[in-house]
Amino acid sequence: MSALELSDIQGTVLRGRPMPYYGTYLVFTVQNPRSALTLLERLLPKVTTAADWEAPAENAWINVAFSHAGLSKLGLPEDVLSGFPREVRQGMAARSAFLGDVGSSAPENWDMPHAGNGLDIGLLIMAGSIALRDDKIAIGHAAVSGLPGIVAAHRLDVGLPPTMREHFGFVDGISRPYIEGQGGTPLPGQPIAKAGEFVLGYENELGEIASGPGPQELWRNGTYIALRKLHQDVAAFRRFLRDNANSPEGQELLAAQMMGRWRSGCPLAKSPERDDPAMANDPLRNNDFLYLKEDPDGRVTPAGSHIRRANPRDALDGTVVDMKLHRLLRRGSAYGGVLPEGVMEDDGADRGLVIALINANPGRQFEFVQSQWMNDGDFISEGDRTDPFAGRKDKADDFVTLKPRKRYRGLSQFATTRGGEHLFLPGIGGLKWILGNVKPA
Amino acid sequence: MAPTPAEKAALAQNVTNQPDGPGKRIGKRGEVHVIGNVLPGGGKLFRERIAQFQAEAGYWETHVGTVHDFRVLMFDNDTRILISAIYDGDFLPYLADVINQAGPWFDMLMPGVWEGYTSASDTATRKLIGRQAYTADAFYAGYPDLTTKDIAKMRKLRDAVNAMLDSAS
Ligand code: HEM
Repeated sequence: MSALELSDIQGTVLRGRPMPYYGTYLVFTVQNPRSALTLLERLLPKVTTAADWEAPAENAWINVAFSHAGLSKLGLPEDVLSGFPREVRQGMAARSAFLGDVGSSAPENWDMPHAGNGLDIGLLIMAGSIALRDDKIAIGHAAVSGLPGIVAAHRLDVGLPPTMREHFGFVDGISRPYIEGQGGTPLPGQPIAKAGEFVLGYENELGEIASGPGPQELWRNGTYIALRKLHQDVAAFRRFLRDNANSPEGQELLAAQMMGRWRSGCPLAKSPERDDPAMANDPLRNNDFLYLKEDPDGRVTPAGSHIRRANPRDALDGTVVDMKLHRLLRRGSAYGGVLPEGVMEDDGADRGLVIALINANPGRQFEFVQSQWMNDGDFISEGDRTDPFAGRKDKADDFVTLKPRKRYRGLSQFATTRGGEHLFLPGIGGLKWILGNVKPA
Repeated sequence: MAPTPAEKAALAQNVTNQPDGPGKRIGKRGEVHVIGNVLPGGGKLFRERIAQFQAEAGYWETHVGTVHDFRVLMFDNDTRILISAIYDGDFLPYLADVINQAGPWFDMLMPGVWEGYTSASDTATRKLIGRQAYTADAFYAGYPDLTTKDIAKMRKLRDAVNAMLDSAS
């Protein structure tokens, strides 16, 4: 195992967001490649690395990522551009049929720009306070000021709702893999992943060095981010719970069965009968569980629940699937105001979740999980059935539990895709390589 | 009167291509063919090894769990080798897993036989398989909406129903 070169890796790859968090996604369109390089030059010294993982110098960071269209506009050589993974080259909108972004989730309904319609360069900003966030935004704005042909195309603010939960009412951001060489020690239940699953230039779970296109200087310590903007229909979810359970306790249980965790974050696997907030808040216990031995059929944590689909842990051992090849590192954050408690009708406001899924191999990580586990049910012998929260609902709209044995019908599209892209997040060395080697026409 | 071509075509199945290829797809059923070149002397090695490879087929394919049927054929005077399979679901997304799972089985047959094949865990071999994969020009699948898992589940159900009926009679 080689130690990760923390000072060359952009911070978001290895640093969880602060709590509470205030973040912003800024999207820029490049019309003038020369200006884009100047922008990069100005940003380079400001980009936050993962070096201060253990002792953050300041509780805020700014990171920079590119769509394939953006890299093409910058003027990367053709042979380098053609070496990016298919998913990145095509862009997420072009992958919509495969990813199940159809109907209301189709790219023509997206309101966040994607590659080819405005997303060339993205700035990812995350901070522990509004003031710290605004400082970073100011850095972004200063970097573009006076530059012709750089258009600020979109801004999306994210932040922890006052409820301290994501919009459906669940505590989020609990489970994540431990990356070899990241520092610290893994928590109980945290799977240890080879660094090459999440950072290019290191060995991955296939025993290969995860690599990228062109010279090593460009991709070493870089990675890919599958960015998703998901609108949440909170009122529809509340109505579904109300209509399918006859007591508040019943509603909580149904919600927990759909997620695999009580809303507090307490895993069903550890406390099947009732919520246990103390368990939820204990990092030594709240992720320390498996499925195969004690719950192979999903009587406690339904096989179709969100967390068991997104990370089946050991549940698929003995099948064709090797879980180690399909891990995701999530950076999820909420956007939009809270729908006040008890409101059962949609207020028309846009609220939801922006998830940045970090993966070194978008094909066998994010796209695999989305297409095979969120949007299909064959892997758990459930036919076309999809994830209750993050799955497409045009193929199937039901959810089953074994205890009690029940099939719930008529789940609506609780989450709708409103934007998405596969982005390249170079290491610091990669940014320098671009500056040193790309000559705009 | 014999049915017209149009009448016969009315039973056509909806055939698509696998996402990002290779292989055709009907419902949940996919197909793929891989055609490789055989090294000099490969025919002899192949015939020495094929019996044990055959004997282990059930073991390895049960592990993979999504394959309906599978065959290997050496042809053209020991110069080429064909591998074909009918399986459930998408092809490319599962390729890494399948090679991982069934790698050792292939490794007992292919090195020295299939030109370019070193070991299933070798990146070059994975790329070779991708390069030499072909899509059928015509494809038919019986019961395309049933996976191997569905069939196993239905068999369990049938046995249970029969047992119930037997005990009632
Ligand atoms: C609106 C949509 C979504 C909501 C509300 C949501 C919410 C949640 C919550 C509350 C958890 C449990 C807490 C935790 O372990 O952090 C979770 C876990 C997870 N989610 Fe989602 N999620 C959504 C979409 C997605 C999508 C699209 C993906 C990936 C394709 C995904 C991947 C995961 C993963 C990998 C886990 C961790 C599972 C584990 O390790 O046990 N989620 N999600």
